[in-house]
Amino acid sequence: MILRRASLRYLSRHPWVVVLSVLGVALGVAVVVAIDLANESAVRAFTLSVETLSGQATHQIVGGPRGLSEVTYRRLRIDAQVRTSAPVVEGHARLPDFVGQTFTLLGIDPFAEAKFRPYVSSGRDTPGLTQLLSEPATGLITRSTANRLGINAGDTLKLRIGTAYHTLSIVGLIEPTDSVTQQGLASVIVTDIATAQELLGMQGRLSWIDLIVPDDDSELTQRIQRILPKDATIIRSENRSHALNQMTRGFRVNLTALSLLALLVGMFLIYNIMTFSVIQRRELVGTLRALGVTRRQIFSQVIIEAMLIGGIGTVCGIALGIALGSGLVERVVRTINDLYFVVSVSELTVSPLSLLKGVAVGMGATLLAALAPAWEATGAPVSTVLQRSAVESRATRRAPRVALAGFAVVVLGIGLLAIPSRSLVLGFSALFVLVAGFVLVVPAATVWLMRGLKPVMGTLFGLLGRLATRGVVAALSRTSVAIAALAVAISATVGVGIMIDSFRQSFLDWLTASLRADIYVAAPVAQTGPSAATLDEDFIARVSTLPQVAAISTGRRVRLDGPRGVQQLLVSEVDREQFRLYQLKHGDVEQVWQAFENEGAVLVSEPYAYRHDVGLGDTISLRTNQGERPFTIAGIYYDYGSDEGRVSISRNTYNRYWNDRKVTFIRIYTQPAADISALMKQLRNVTGEHDLFIRSNQALREASIQVFDRTFAITNILRLLATIVAFVGVLSALMALQLERAREFAVLRANGLTPRQVWQLAMTETGLMGFCSGLFALPLGIGTALALILVINRRSFGWTLQVSIDPSVLVFGLLLAMVAALLAALYPAFKMTRTSLALALREK
Amino acid sequence: MDTSLVQLQRLTKIYQEGEQQRVVFRDMDAEIGRNEFLVLLGRSGSGKSTLLNIISGIDLPTSGEVHIDGASLGSLSETARTVFRREHIGFVFQFFNLIPTLTVEENLLLPLELNGRLDAGARIFAQELLEEVGLADRVASFPDRLSGGEQQRIAIARALVHKPLLVLADEPTGNLDAETGQQVLELLARMHRATGTTLIMATHSREAVNLADRILTFDGGRLYPSSKPHTNPR
Repeated sequence: MILRRASLRYLSRHPWVVVLSVLGVALGVAVVVAIDLANESAVRAFTLSVETLSGQATHQIVGGPRGLSEVTYRRLRIDAQVRTSAPVVEGHARLPDFVGQTFTLLGIDPFAEAKFRPYVSSGRDTPGLTQLLSEPATGLITRSTANRLGINAGDTLKLRIGTAYHTLSIVGLIEPTDSVTQQGLASVIVTDIATAQELLGMQGRLSWIDLIVPDDDSELTQRIQRILPKDATIIRSENRSHALNQMTRGFRVNLTALSLLALLVGMFLIYNIMTFSVIQRRELVGTLRALGVTRRQIFSQVIIEAMLIGGIGTVCGIALGIALGSGLVERVVRTINDLYFVVSVSELTVSPLSLLKGVAVGMGATLLAALAPAWEATGAPVSTVLQRSAVESRATRRAPRVALAGFAVVVLGIGLLAIPSRSLVLGFSALFVLVAGFVLVVPAATVWLMRGLKPVMGTLFGLLGRLATRGVVAALSRTSVAIAALAVAISATVGVGIMIDSFRQSFLDWLTASLRADIYVAAPVAQTGPSAATLDEDFIARVSTLPQVAAISTGRRVRLDGPRGVQQLLVSEVDREQFRLYQLKHGDVEQVWQAFENEGAVLVSEPYAYRHDVGLGDTISLRTNQGERPFTIAGIYYDYGSDEGRVSISRNTYNRYWNDRKVTFIRIYTQPAADISALMKQLRNVTGEHDLFIRSNQALREASIQVFDRTFAITNILRLLATIVAFVGVLSALMALQLERAREFAVLRANGLTPRQVWQLAMTETGLMGFCSGLFALPLGIGTALALILVINRRSFGWTLQVSIDPSVLVFGLLLAMVAALLAALYPAFKMTRTSLALALREK
Repeated sequence: MDTSLVQLQRLTKIYQEGEQQRVVFRDMDAEIGRNEFLVLLGRSGSGKSTLLNIISGIDLPTSGEVHIDGASLGSLSETARTVFRREHIGFVFQFFNLIPTLTVEENLLLPLELNGRLDAGARIFAQELLEEVGLADRVASFPDRLSGGEQQRIAIARALVHKPLLVLADEPTGNLDAETGQQVLELLARMHRATGTTLIMATHSREAVNLADRILTFDGGRLYPSSKPHTNPR
């Protein structure tokens, strides 16, 4: 008890030690918790929404590219006598009056609903249900959603579906009895099937049919199978949410890993502070040991202190993480919406599991970081605990050996990265091993660098320059930790910067090669499912006859739901020249073209080949109108537009197996002297009442780049956070050094150094530390970038990226390190010049 | 019962300093009796503090044996030596080494708590010691509020509070003025007599020599018996 009291009082007498340590833990934990909460909220919102919309359904009947015909449902109910079935039409609508609000439009048949979604028609007493059936353009939302939007039953909502605007009367409010349904329906508008078909342009079609099929009822399954058309199939309800969840896994794992980086940097901070507090109390520890306190007691004392700091930091970090998560969730959701599927998150879901993870990483990281200082405090014999110089001489003596061990760990990290595996966790673990190995090399590298710089600094700054280089080495146990922490944070900035640059360059090259047409016209596919919206045939015919149009090619995007998940199909009607838009990874263009156009073979994108583990000459199975059919892979092409992967198929082959002549978009190649703006204006006139996406090559390119940059916005935020944590780390290290060296500086002052010179000395020393960090960060940053580009990205998305190192990223990293170090030094340097000479000299 | 409490047998301590070896003492033998007040004299760096560290088990000899009350310190593990030290040895340092974050009372009670003997009787004894050293009214003060002499008086009380067999004092007056130093020495001697504890003191103080039962002087890595100087005690 008395020992503990002594330790608590030490902490209360050094509040900045506590504040900076708590800040280090809190920032690290906050970033991890925020990312986790944002990820979880997006996934949970999506899963809840899928589950709530599926209700009690165990299976679903899904159709081909254009959904299912209503006839299928009629046959199911009448011919097959399957009463536990309910038709669904689903799409998405934006609410233009409420910025950022995207709702799911759920068209249902209230009469068939009771067993599936009881919240809609429970006891038929939902207000407005009758109007829903009898009046067009009517819908229901939950009461809490109405409250959130500030509307009432009887009000109208303006909807934007694709590019068209509609109004919908809210005729009743659903009041779910449980909170899960409440959340699942937070962004859902329920309408009658006819209204949904009308709004989404799906007259006579259904998105899917829900079924309740007991597991062992094979007779029922067979009865259903018998009446199904060839383009329809039965899938389990959970398949959809599972497949979509899998889609975003790589994206989410990458965010989590980046957030762990901030925590890693935070760990350096804790390590630094705990080492400092141990070294600062070396005499006290020596006295206690002489009085009979055992090593174990000292060890537990340091650990208890660390856990106390870790505890407070974790609690603060979780609170901060929740606040930060609210800001990040919007960006995560936006990226998911840009890249994967529509999900609307009305609020941050704070799950106990996320908070527990926060506690585990916060306390775990603190414990790990405190182990070495605790060992340091107890490991040395009592007589040398009493000597500060012993700690430093040991650190300097050990540096070469530690560096050798570090090189071995780096080799181990490279070895782990080279293991042919698909595991992302292994990839990131290898990267962390690589970083850990590098950190071990830092003390020796600092000594060598300072030795090399000493004559240069002496020539440039005289005595102060020599003193500064000596000062960095003299307190190596402290300076090397600060240098390493800053180097790791800067290397992350450099590494992720190179990775983004490389990615962007690959993406731009691909975009340039792929976007060869002058104008692109697309049906308003937005949010109504990739297969649903199509262009009018007459419109296409009229466009092709316009005088400024030299040629057009058409394309069709199709989503195939199946028992094995979702497959994206890209149907291309291109001539031999236009076929070059596919940048083939393998194979001869001429041969691939022949196979693609005339032999019914398909191309797959690089991510598809990776995700499905298929290669040239392999066959894949696709669900056609005539059932499952194998297709040979004639080529693999680069595609940075979708990480879930796509299958490309020629128009001829598609028509043959799917009997669907619809077109989703057209590429327009203009005459050489054509005026693009004038032609686009003309096209808008041709579209008449159709509201289509018409974009020039340049506009589409810019929009694509915008989405790309938006995707990495969150990555940049994480880089910044890691740098802030490192900054706090350097600040704490310098504060500690300042406190420790007060007497040394006082002696220098007593011997004639002016306060200004003390200031210069402190700033030069810190500038040197920043320079070391920046310099060490460059090889580590390049190594990190290579690991991210060649291993992590491939495992996450299957993309081949060309490595592109912009020297400005490296220069920026070096400058950032020096500026961060110098900024962090301002206050400690100021304090040093203000220290009372007499007081500092009197202290033993 | 053996009359000697501490037995040093062929004790050697050598420090490795880079390529060089520095012999502090070699093959040193000595016996220190129960209730004895022994003073160790010698120049700075002659090995007095090293010997105290070895006797307390803080440091280990390069070779040779240290027996205290029959126990061979060399055969004990590091933890066992620590436990032995906290139960049987009290320490008085040159720089007092009170725990700055503990009050006077807490500093005093610390050895008792470490030994698991913080009971009512022990508390009363601690209070008596405080009265004996004249600081009973400063129980709630922190060390930085006390003068050097007061801090050393508390350190003496702390060294005795758990009734050790042996008290080791390393230059206890080295950081005090002459008058205060004298008071501290007299206090140490008085407490030694009152408690019957063996006291080994490393010092340069001539006054301590006058109070001691026996004097050993370090010279050239060996211990030589010295006679008391014939000065009148003050």
